Amino acid sequence: MSQAPTPGAGAPYQRLAGEMEKIVINRISNDQLILPPMPAVAIKVLTLLKNPDFSLKEAATTIERDPILTVQVLKAANTAAMASRDPIQSVLQAVTRFGVQKLRMFLIEASARKCFESRDARIVEAARGVWEHSLAVAMLARDVVAFSNSGAPDFGYLGGLLHDIGKPIVAAMLLEAEKAILGAKASMTWIGSGEWIGIINRIHRQVGVALAKKWEMAEPVCRSIKDCDEYDNSDRLSIANAVRFSNAVAKQQGIYVGNVDADDIDALVMIGRSLLGLEPEVVVRLTEGLKNKAKESMA
Amino acid sequence: MPKVLTVDDSRAVRMLVSKNAREMGLEVAEAEDGQQGLAKTKEESFDLIILDVTMPVLDGPGMLQELRAGGNKTPVLMLTSESKRSIVSSLMKMGIEDYILKPFKPDELKAKIAKALKMAGPAPGDEALVKEMASIVQAPSANDPKGPAGGKQFVDILCIDDMENVAKRLRTMIPEHVTLSTATSASAALAICRERVFRIIMVDNDIPDVDSSSLMRQLRVMQPQAAFVMLSLRSMAKAQDEAREAGFVGVIFKPFDQSALEEFLLRYFDNQELIAITDNVISISAFKGRENRLPGYFSQITTLVSKAVEEIAAACFAEVIVDISQIPLLPEKTGRMVLQLSERTRKVGLEIRLVGSAEVSNNLKQLVETSDLPVFKTVEEAKAA
Repeated sequence: MSQAPTPGAGAPYQRLAGEMEKIVINRISNDQLILPPMPAVAIKVLTLLKNPDFSLKEAATTIERDPILTVQVLKAANTAAMASRDPIQSVLQAVTRFGVQKLRMFLIEASARKCFESRDARIVEAARGVWEHSLAVAMLARDVVAFSNSGAPDFGYLGGLLHDIGKPIVAAMLLEAEKAILGAKASMTWIGSGEWIGIINRIHRQVGVALAKKWEMAEPVCRSIKDCDEYDNSDRLSIANAVRFSNAVAKQQGIYVGNVDADDIDALVMIGRSLLGLEPEVVVRLTEGLKNKAKESMA
Repeated sequence: MPKVLTVDDSRAVRMLVSKNAREMGLEVAEAEDGQQGLAKTKEESFDLIILDVTMPVLDGPGMLQELRAGGNKTPVLMLTSESKRSIVSSLMKMGIEDYILKPFKPDELKAKIAKALKMAGPAPGDEALVKEMASIVQAPSANDPKGPAGGKQFVDILCIDDMENVAKRLRTMIPEHVTLSTATSASAALAICRERVFRIIMVDNDIPDVDSSSLMRQLRVMQPQAAFVMLSLRSMAKAQDEAREAGFVGVIFKPFDQSALEEFLLRYFDNQELIAITDNVISISAFKGRENRLPGYFSQITTLVSKAVEEIAAACFAEVIVDISQIPLLPEKTGRMVLQLSERTRKVGLEIRLVGSAEVSNNLKQLVETSDLPVFKTVEEAKAA
């Protein structure tokens, strides 16, 4: 009886990885991507907020229909960052405290967070790391945008938050594709982590952009997800450049899952500093305690 | 004098680099391409090479490679319109000091040249910040809000609160000489912080749509010298702990309490602003607060002038001129204050000359103890006496 080969090693696994990548790419190009919808309650509240005569009471009542979101709203409203007076005990109190803009950001963040949740043990740990990285990039990008006076800081935050959102979605699609190819044997094998990460890195941006468009994110946010690797020289102070820079800085600080090419990252940070007009001392101040802040935000 | 070589096929760029480097007191040589650049480095040694990437004959990476292969370790600053990470990354591996993307601002170029040369003193790019810091360390007169501050207006307090009444109320409770700016939203606060330099920034912890802690962090980058204070309702549980945790220096509770506010202001505002000293002349600032604060004003200036008198005596002046023309005309309080000052000056061996209006002079003549003190109409007259 021949022994089962080590996952990820050898030609069969490379072929398998290739097949899986092809399935996902075909879905993207044929517009057959099944993207996670924004939770119904979030959509409803976001739609409500678009109406100038909206009622916060109605928004609160809608949120209360989703028990998980309710807990998240109350938790967020009672964090030290929100510096609440007396403990907030009702959703109405919480949304009143948030205000429209903050509530909108909270709902998008909560929806994005759901994309990083998985029942599959193979994804869950990596997804946590990617989420932590995304939060760090979001916080830094918001500060960088504010500091360089390059637009709305909230766009920087959302761009950072969503720049890697395609990753967990592609991971879930790969799992599904694997099942389709291997059927019942799926539980026995899996492509190697190197291949897995390689596929995700090659195609996650397309998926991320598709999701951001589906969620009706603003153009600067979508552009931050697309081609996040190279700076755009023609628009030096763009939101996308702030997100690219923040992404590189977060990686340089070790707030990232996976391997990074240190020289590559140093180059990106150096280019970004010149592009955005940031002195090294400013970058140091902006990144103080970034990892801890991202961790706290995850809690 | 440090020598810099600029290698760029654009004459305009070479001229611009040369101009800025010369302004920094550096000697500059120019080369049109990598080959010419290499030839120059063989003729003489340089302290810094400012190198373009794309050039005819021999490009920047080619020149850098040959330079390093020949053992030349002169620091290199890349000045290029190339922003491809792969190219910049390979240049970094060859050992470049820093990178500037074209088009560039002279400040950035100068700052990076200074840093690469490890020149003493602040980098030129930091000049504005240094000026701002210096303006605060030297405590410019708050009566003259257009202090140096790197060309920015200097303001004592920024109050950020979405309720307009908060700043209005604060204005009525702080002395008039303390300057105050207000912002009712985060974007307004960020905008005003780009324009002005503040000593204290008060941030409300309950602005709709705003996370006060992250707003404070953003503002801190722009205003590193400022003290950040949280504005909070008294009912907020553990406000002090939360403020400290978030990086604020303290909390001021709303509605404002006059004595707590004054105690706070005393910590941050040098009382010297109530008096100004030039050589042996002490000028007392006008009182601009509420009437019920007058006793405090007189007591503060008496203490401050007494200290100033000692300093003037220590500087070996024979007389001290005290300009009291701006103080409110309250016979009893003015008389008592002048009496204390004259006793103090006598003790330290100084002759006192006062400057004030005819009314002040008449008032002082009513009191036996102060009736002999000379009162002049102007400082010049007092000096000439």
